[in-house]
Amino acid sequence: MSGNVILFHTVWFPFAAAFVSYLTGRRSKAARDRVVQFAVAAEFGLMLAAAAIYFQGGEQEFLLAGFCGQGVYLKLDGFRVVYGVIAAFMWLGTGVFSREYFGHYRNRNRYYFFYLLTLGATMGVFLSGDLYTTFVFFEVMSLASYVWVVHDETEKAMKAGEIYLAIAVIGGLVMLMGLLLLYDAAGTLRMSELYDAVAAVWQEKQMQIYAAGGCLLFGFGAKAGMFPLHVWLPKAHPVAPAPASALLSGILTKTGVFGILIVCAEVFRYNESWGLLILGFGVVTMFGGALLAVFSVDLKRTLACSSMSQIGFILIGTGMMELLGEANALAVRGTILHMVNHSTIKLILFMAAGVVYMNLHKLNLNEIRGFGRKKPLLAGIFLTGALSIGGVPGFSGYVSKTLLHESIVEYAEELAELGRSVLWVRGVEWIFLLTGGMTVAYMTKLFVAVFLEKNPERQEEYDARKNYMNKESALALLVPAVLLLLMGFFPYLTMNQIADLTQGFLHGTSPEHAVHYFSWTNLQGALISLTIGAIVYFGIIRRFLMGRDESGRIYYKDLWPAWLDLEDRVYRPLFQRGAVAVCGFVCGLVDRLTLTKTLLRGGMNLGGIACGILDRLHLVKAFLKGLMSFTALLSRACDYLVDYVLVFFRNTTHRSTTERHVYLIGSRFSRVAGTLLDRLAAVLNRTILRRRPIRSSFVVRFAEWEEVIHKTNRMISVSLSFGLMLAIIGLGLTLVYLLWW
Amino acid sequence: MTITWMFGAAILLPVLSGLFLLLRQGKIQNRRLKCAGIFLVMALTALLAIGLICSPDYELTVWQLTDTISLTFRLDGLARLFMGMTVAAWALGGVFAFEYMKHEENEDRYFGFYLIVLGVLLALDQAGNLVTLYLCFEMMTLTSLPLVLHNMSHEAVMAGLKYLFYSIGGAFTALFGIFYLFANGLTGSFTPGGYLSAGTVSYTGTTGMTLFVLLLIIVGFGTKAGMFPMHGWLPTAHPVAPAPASAVLSGVITKAGVLAVVRVVFYMVGADFLRGTWVQYTWLTLALITVFMGSMMAYKEQLLKKRLAYSSVSQVSYIMFGLATLTADGFTGGLAHFIFHSIIKDCLFLCAGAIIYNTHRTRVDELRGIGKEMPVTMWCFTIVSLGLVGIPPLSGFVSKWYLAVGSLGSGTGVFTWLGPVVLLLSALLTAGYLLTLSIQAFFPGADFDYAGVKKHEVNALMTVPMILYAAATLLLGMFPGALIGFIQNIASAVL
Repeated sequence: MSGNVILFHTVWFPFAAAFVSYLTGRRSKAARDRVVQFAVAAEFGLMLAAAAIYFQGGEQEFLLAGFCGQGVYLKLDGFRVVYGVIAAFMWLGTGVFSREYFGHYRNRNRYYFFYLLTLGATMGVFLSGDLYTTFVFFEVMSLASYVWVVHDETEKAMKAGEIYLAIAVIGGLVMLMGLLLLYDAAGTLRMSELYDAVAAVWQEKQMQIYAAGGCLLFGFGAKAGMFPLHVWLPKAHPVAPAPASALLSGILTKTGVFGILIVCAEVFRYNESWGLLILGFGVVTMFGGALLAVFSVDLKRTLACSSMSQIGFILIGTGMMELLGEANALAVRGTILHMVNHSTIKLILFMAAGVVYMNLHKLNLNEIRGFGRKKPLLAGIFLTGALSIGGVPGFSGYVSKTLLHESIVEYAEELAELGRSVLWVRGVEWIFLLTGGMTVAYMTKLFVAVFLEKNPERQEEYDARKNYMNKESALALLVPAVLLLLMGFFPYLTMNQIADLTQGFLHGTSPEHAVHYFSWTNLQGALISLTIGAIVYFGIIRRFLMGRDESGRIYYKDLWPAWLDLEDRVYRPLFQRGAVAVCGFVCGLVDRLTLTKTLLRGGMNLGGIACGILDRLHLVKAFLKGLMSFTALLSRACDYLVDYVLVFFRNTTHRSTTERHVYLIGSRFSRVAGTLLDRLAAVLNRTILRRRPIRSSFVVRFAEWEEVIHKTNRMISVSLSFGLMLAIIGLGLTLVYLLWW
Repeated sequence: MTITWMFGAAILLPVLSGLFLLLRQGKIQNRRLKCAGIFLVMALTALLAIGLICSPDYELTVWQLTDTISLTFRLDGLARLFMGMTVAAWALGGVFAFEYMKHEENEDRYFGFYLIVLGVLLALDQAGNLVTLYLCFEMMTLTSLPLVLHNMSHEAVMAGLKYLFYSIGGAFTALFGIFYLFANGLTGSFTPGGYLSAGTVSYTGTTGMTLFVLLLIIVGFGTKAGMFPMHGWLPTAHPVAPAPASAVLSGVITKAGVLAVVRVVFYMVGADFLRGTWVQYTWLTLALITVFMGSMMAYKEQLLKKRLAYSSVSQVSYIMFGLATLTADGFTGGLAHFIFHSIIKDCLFLCAGAIIYNTHRTRVDELRGIGKEMPVTMWCFTIVSLGLVGIPPLSGFVSKWYLAVGSLGSGTGVFTWLGPVVLLLSALLTAGYLLTLSIQAFFPGADFDYAGVKKHEVNALMTVPMILYAAATLLLGMFPGALIGFIQNIASAVL
């Protein structure tokens, strides 16, 4: 154990608190809720203290050697300070909110236990200074958060949990493979040493490092919700309880992004082809998420798809960071700021959705619409989040999106200077702006549905709900919203500071000239997006995605075809049925057709065939029989003594278990020969032997003889075995004699 | 002198008490007293074994048969490792059985043979040359047979016979190899690092034939370790044995095969002799086939104990794979996995036993919601399952790390990366066949009848061993330093 212990405290404390809360919860539920809230508050305090130490003493590190084999190495730099504080803050917010939200839930103890466990693990991931440590905590986090997803135990939740767990486990294992390959190639997993170590072996082990990078990207990308591994995200986030969704969406996806950033910055720093790969995934993820969100009619599902889309934005920034090489300040700052923004925004939005769900236990837009009317606080909070994520000037999302947009423009200019084709970069830029517009459109859809439109059936009931959340929850929602507003209004004071603090993590430098966020060129981009947003909302959503039912009421159509699902169409058939069935079949065969059995079978068959051949060779048979008869006669003549011994043994040790009845029927020989002789005797009786005829039948006499021979044979075989026994004992004695004397 | 006495006592005490128990079958009326007596014997044996483990290296020749053939026992690092695991598994399995065997008949016979096998295993662990090893190996097979066919049903007897045939057949296969080696001048004593590759003995066998008989020895002793193609007995024998017996069978007795292979390959022949030969590649291939096939069969299996048995098939071959890489890291990972898998599989079988004892449910699909009824059991089950999958910070992760690192550094061509890939695929399947069970147990679904759940956990005699195992899985995963260091010492001596 060496280094600054406060880093260690921030990690172990939540683990310990988890057990305390569980034990408390078995006694008193109210006390448990307080313990949990105290724990998250204390964790936040700890993280602030760590931040203070960082501002005074610079970077800190902590090493617990030998933990889990390779040791745990924690580090504190600007980025980690920011993300540690954000994580602790999000747990604090959701912790405060959870008390009311979970008021009537079952299995709360279980929830809180894993809630705190995940906090510790997430802290571990963000503070990790080598990839081994990252992996250790990442796995704990992935599995502990599974419990959140399935908390409701509904069929839908269980199914979502299944795919969540599958992707988490597969992602984890593939990531482990990547780590192993990387470790084998570079000889270290310490982040600060990786770049040099990789550069040293780059020439000879390029393929291996790319393979390692691919595996790591798979593992981290799965958690981040990157296409095509996003399948769990739109399913798991909506079914989890709202505070958990906020964390899943706001911070757990960021752990994946964190890993991707490490891989990009430390392993493939300024690697163009790698940057293109990330950029490609980013574009698809961004656009795909937004498309899903536009079609969605479920409040939380829309937000989840939106998360996916925003991760795509972040990935585009990451890709640009690679492509731009050393002049990547804009991309670096944009990427980190968008992460920070998205965490805070999704905290607010999911908790607001949680308020809706807490009251109505419904999430479908058609059912919840109108709930937000006459609830200015909730509307204001939601609107703050919506405007921020939409990138409206004056709100925080605008700043980060502008930076990302600028980085794309910068890259296009750079390519143009080099005389290379910029067409595709322009294409990326337009998809970027289009997706920005779609973001505006689906957030408008949500806001209009929940807060502006009237519910055709239950509006009065909704309006009557004044106590829709208690003060504690309101505070939990309000504080982050206010912070978000401040960040948006004073970007130079807040967001620039955050960017300056964190950019060293990605080896970014401050841009040569300060970015004027509210200059006309920058506003243009936002305006284009807003215009597209308006077109999408009025031109597509209101026209095609809304319709009138029989009674003439307007409703939201769920037009997204249910069959169009990567999980059900591709992954499940491929792995669950295809791969498992084939492998299972083959393994079953291998398992059953073991060598021994085959050998035994083969041996038996061979023996059988040999015996069959012998059986058919009558000469041999006759010879054998003759030999047997001869031996029988011989033994009968000579060895009465042995017979007595045999009889003795037969009655004692060698007693046969089943008595066989012997009928005086005889064999074919005795019948044929006997009948012949009988006929002969009859003839003789009539002719020569008239005075002394032969009375007895030869058939019976032969049969009697045969029986005697048969009995003798059996005795002989027994006596032979006995003799063998004696011989072996004798041999054994001889052996002992030879060895001993 | 004291060591001789301690050694003799450690082996004879359990054997003689076992024989005594067998002779007095059914005549001891006071069950509490009997159990206390058995426990005392096991505790004393454990103490003696620990005393031996802590003593300096020794070599005892008990019986000089001829100049070259002798009954010799010696203590070294490897023996310490195996002895420690054996007595620990035996003590915990025994405590568990005090409760479990209440619902089986003939418990005196069970405990009698249970104690005898303990003595035999302690002797086997310390076998100092190949003859002694082989002798103890066969003794172990014969004395552990009654544990398999304990309930004497037709199925159990057939399984017992299968166990016997496979074991004897495997041992004879190995014996052939041993004869060849002996006939050509190998003495059969154990030296770390081996002496065939070093050329310090006058050996007359041809390289080709020697390699072939080495493969026979590996496959032959590998039978006990459940390595393909001789794994067939394992999934048949384990499910029919009483749960605590399955636990030690799977946890310790299968590992005897590993011990024998290690002794031959690393203490007689030397790793260099095999490195890069077709025998190494065959060994690697067989191990990997077993790893994958075992997991796959476990994944498709619905009978809980049989699923665990198939899992053992797969996991023991992880160890074999590590050894087959012939690298220090692979060796370390393999032996670490031996300890970790023993702990984990013991615990899993005990959990299965607790479930069977309590609810008489044997099939996987009957276990829905069992976590609400038997939370302690299922928590232990889940923790060790995660360990077996290899989720940090639990122990299985550490050993798999070393196995994979060893494989990547082994320079065996395609196996360098194929090995880790298969190990990870198998880990995925492990998650598939173990975690689904935990999920069913703890998340029975919203339509589950919570009101109808009665918590009926098994008593402390059964839970304490499981908890200890689960705790060991966690602690050894978090702080493996001492154990890994110990194994690395062995590894550096033999490689």
